[in-house]
Amino acid sequence: MHTKKAAASKIVTYAVLCLWALTTIYPFIWVILNSFRKKGLIISDSFSIPMGDAFTWENYLTAWQRSDFKNAYLNSFLISGTVTVAVVVIAGLAAYGLVRYRFRGRDLLHSLVLAGMMFPVFSTIIPVFRLEALMGIAGTGNRWLSLIAVILPQIAGNLCFAIIILMGFIRSVPIELEESAYLDGCNVVQIYFRIIIPAAKSSFATVAIFAFLWSYNDLFTQSFFLRYPQERAITGLLNEISSQAGVNYGLMAASVVLVIIPVLVVYVCLQKHIIKGLTAGAIKG
Amino acid sequence: MKRTLALILALVMALAMTACGGNTTAPAPAATTPATTTPAAPPAAPAAPAAQSVTLNVVTSYGGDDGNRGNFEAAVAAYEAATGNKVNDGSGTSNEEWKAKILTDFETGSEPDVLFFFTNADAEPIITANKVVSIDEIRSAYPDYATNMKDSMLAKAADGKSYAVPSSGYWENMFVNKTVLDACGIAVPGPDYTWDQFLQDCQKIKDEGYTPIACSLFEVPHYWFEFMVMNNGTVANHLDVPQSADDAAGKKWAAGLNDIKALYEAGFFPANTLTASDAETVEMFNDGEAAFLIDGSWKVGYFNENAQDLNDFAISYVPAKGQRSASEAIGGISMGYFITRKAWDDPAKREAAVEFVSQLTSDDVLSTFVTTEVTALVNGAKPSGLNALQQSAADANAKITAIAGAVQDSLTAEARGDLFANVQNVVTGKMTAEDAIASALALN
Amino acid sequence: MIYKRKTPLLLFLIPAFLFLLVFLYYPFFQNIINTFLKIGGLGRASEGVNAPWYENYQRLATDPYMHTALKNTLLLTLCTIVFQVGVALILALLVDGIRVGAQFFRTVYFFPIVISATALGLMFNLIFLYKGGMVNQLLLSFGALPSEVKSNGKVIVEWLDWKDQAHFLFTMFMPVMWQYVGFYFVILVTGLNNISQDLYEAASLDGADGWARTRFITLPLLRNVLCTCLVLAITGALKVFDLPWVMFGAGMPENQGWLTGTYMYDQTFNHMNVDYGSTIAVLIVVLGVVLSNVANRVFRTSDDF
Repeated sequence: MHTKKAAASKIVTYAVLCLWALTTIYPFIWVILNSFRKKGLIISDSFSIPMGDAFTWENYLTAWQRSDFKNAYLNSFLISGTVTVAVVVIAGLAAYGLVRYRFRGRDLLHSLVLAGMMFPVFSTIIPVFRLEALMGIAGTGNRWLSLIAVILPQIAGNLCFAIIILMGFIRSVPIELEESAYLDGCNVVQIYFRIIIPAAKSSFATVAIFAFLWSYNDLFTQSFFLRYPQERAITGLLNEISSQAGVNYGLMAASVVLVIIPVLVVYVCLQKHIIKGLTAGAIKG
Repeated sequence: MKRTLALILALVMALAMTACGGNTTAPAPAATTPATTTPAAPPAAPAAPAAQSVTLNVVTSYGGDDGNRGNFEAAVAAYEAATGNKVNDGSGTSNEEWKAKILTDFETGSEPDVLFFFTNADAEPIITANKVVSIDEIRSAYPDYATNMKDSMLAKAADGKSYAVPSSGYWENMFVNKTVLDACGIAVPGPDYTWDQFLQDCQKIKDEGYTPIACSLFEVPHYWFEFMVMNNGTVANHLDVPQSADDAAGKKWAAGLNDIKALYEAGFFPANTLTASDAETVEMFNDGEAAFLIDGSWKVGYFNENAQDLNDFAISYVPAKGQRSASEAIGGISMGYFITRKAWDDPAKREAAVEFVSQLTSDDVLSTFVTTEVTALVNGAKPSGLNALQQSAADANAKITAIAGAVQDSLTAEARGDLFANVQNVVTGKMTAEDAIASALALN
Repeated sequence: MIYKRKTPLLLFLIPAFLFLLVFLYYPFFQNIINTFLKIGGLGRASEGVNAPWYENYQRLATDPYMHTALKNTLLLTLCTIVFQVGVALILALLVDGIRVGAQFFRTVYFFPIVISATALGLMFNLIFLYKGGMVNQLLLSFGALPSEVKSNGKVIVEWLDWKDQAHFLFTMFMPVMWQYVGFYFVILVTGLNNISQDLYEAASLDGADGWARTRFITLPLLRNVLCTCLVLAITGALKVFDLPWVMFGAGMPENQGWLTGTYMYDQTFNHMNVDYGSTIAVLIVVLGVVLSNVANRVFRTSDDF
């Protein structure tokens, strides 16, 4: 009786989970299918499998020939990689400080972080551009300086979110762990590296994934600072292609595939890392 | 308590110090990197005339799906091959955001060396700030600069001087889908097309189950606005901007808006004209679902890329009413090449920039651009190898008797945006045409 | 006792707040100043102070489009909280209860966030396309769309306009909510994994069944993480921009479809009304702070150490 009920609930569980999975996987399949479809056929018939006459490699060839993907990948990884590392390091420290220390002004800082998350990027971009131009970073036409010009505001833009997330997790780390480490003679910095980071490892990975993705997909900031072809990052390239493609949806789909593949690779890699962090079982100590 | 207070103070001070420290540390990379690049520039400068290799930063609107992008890129490549200079091409698609970015660049000192930009009110901020060089000043050093252009066709800024060398012009006119017209038994309209005939044709097309007019009133009502205003006035007074909704020009605008409303109420626009995008309705026209489309010379490039058969399409004439003749259209030259003060004052770049503009506006290069019918060239342009649609455009343009610029260019961006955003309110009766005009003029 | 000595705190806080100060708070402060000035273009200097100086705030209170935007955005926030976080919680609890395939679901639920909004917008536009979009094709094959045959044999189908006044809320909200379910799902799953397995084992020994374990162990322990999700959902909903903008543009349909994010962008970049756009940005931030503080008050446990 009991097992029957359990089996039934298992089936329902899997049915629900698979249904949702379908909605998230199907768009990918749709995009990939259409990236192999001949120009002009997408509107009339976008849901079948492109075979025979409808199949073509041309979209990928056109995309790769027309645009400098290699260079754009490099720029994107330099930008998003730096942003990810910086955000994880800086936000981790700040979240730890804000959670564990009690000091006057803590609530104020907390509110500031919360508020910072709500600043729409369109409202800060112009002053940031002017500031960076004043510093001699933005608008120089120098590739490396332009990359830095994107990296700095992106770090700031991702910090608030990262701090909020990490605070949530550090809060749930049992303080007894830290107390026993303290009694063993660890100082605060050691506690942070030996206790907090391992315990909240998975949440650091979560934050890293989001920082990377948002930086990688953030067209708006890129379009302000990266103007010249050799500076262009991958999302800007996608936008450029889609504005040139008109209704050539096949070319657009192929470009989308080229753009999301690296993100998927990074995501799947970090995904493994999360599991490692969990099985280490740091938290159960 | 005291201790926490002391701590807060320490924290505030530390923050303040780091805030200052931040200003000294943050520019550090900037200060060091230019230190490696700026000193590099002066030694390079004396060497430049010898080496003759300069990198020019160029920004134009020939990016995106502009019909002349290919021609522009070919001309740039030819320049690079001929001079050994390199062109850093930062071209984009012209829209309000693009304009804003460029003006911001000038404000922050990160402007390009050569800019292809609007010559109307949009350029005033960079002209008054003395950021671009006038043609007269350039001619004082390079007397032959832009001498292949008619001086009368060079746009004059508010200070009476000309700054930009015109490239190709533009025209706006009516594209027709011949297959749809055939199916409805309607001939391709000629330069004597009348409004009454047009209304009859539209009804017939609608009865046959097609959409008469492909237009997204949500996104691009401005093409119809221009022609409907001209239909209620003349080509001569087309550029009059009303002072109020009740003066002569205001009444003309209101009548034009009400003509659009009448077309909307008759169901001649697509059923989803208020929710469709421009791309959607143009595709509908391209697909043989709609008969008429008012658009500009830049759209020819779209059909070259996307049409199944260019022979299905033709450039015709916008039906006329009142004193206007259907052979009168919108067109002109609204953009040109500016050389920035920054490039002019840079001995290494001055020559390269002048050479670039001269080459890109030479008779040969401009003859390759698809809108050559509208030109400022003294000797005119000699296009060759036109395809079916380009030929149709050339034929239509040959019969055009007069053109006027778009009156929307005389409005501020804010007023323009407001007016066109309100067209949907006018056609649905949520707002009167007079109120829409008054609202826009308040922002002008 | 560990955290009595405050000096290390400086090390922890300074890097973050330095960045925020220079690249977030200073620009936003500038933005607040801009709300009182008259600025006619992004690149242009101000033309002086507004008359009266609070003109933009006055306009904010009386602008009918702004009211529409607020109404829509608050509705979206509500839907986000209920459906987005709700669905994510259900999915997270379900995945936490299974072994086989858990990793697979975790990976794929996150996919929509990976795709850029431009690509997603294009996709949903094709799905909800007026003529021959996926949904309309399905409806047609079920005979749910009225059609008429003309005398010349041409079949006229009355397609359903998914972006008209009757349907736009669904068409606009559905993709936004769908995209970010995976986001909250990942956060919640991570939170669930942080709950010690020992607690469940102890509860099982006490005879607690699945639902009781969820109700009395999981949810209370997840409270802080849920609260984080709530705050993120609220702030996210208030500044939602890219997907609605790609799909609907400026206030489609007939100015009923504004959101605070899209209205602000439109005012700033299309109407060159930089000062008014800044004012809307200030409103977004104020609303966000107020709403998330309320959420914090209501949900956060008091002993949050």
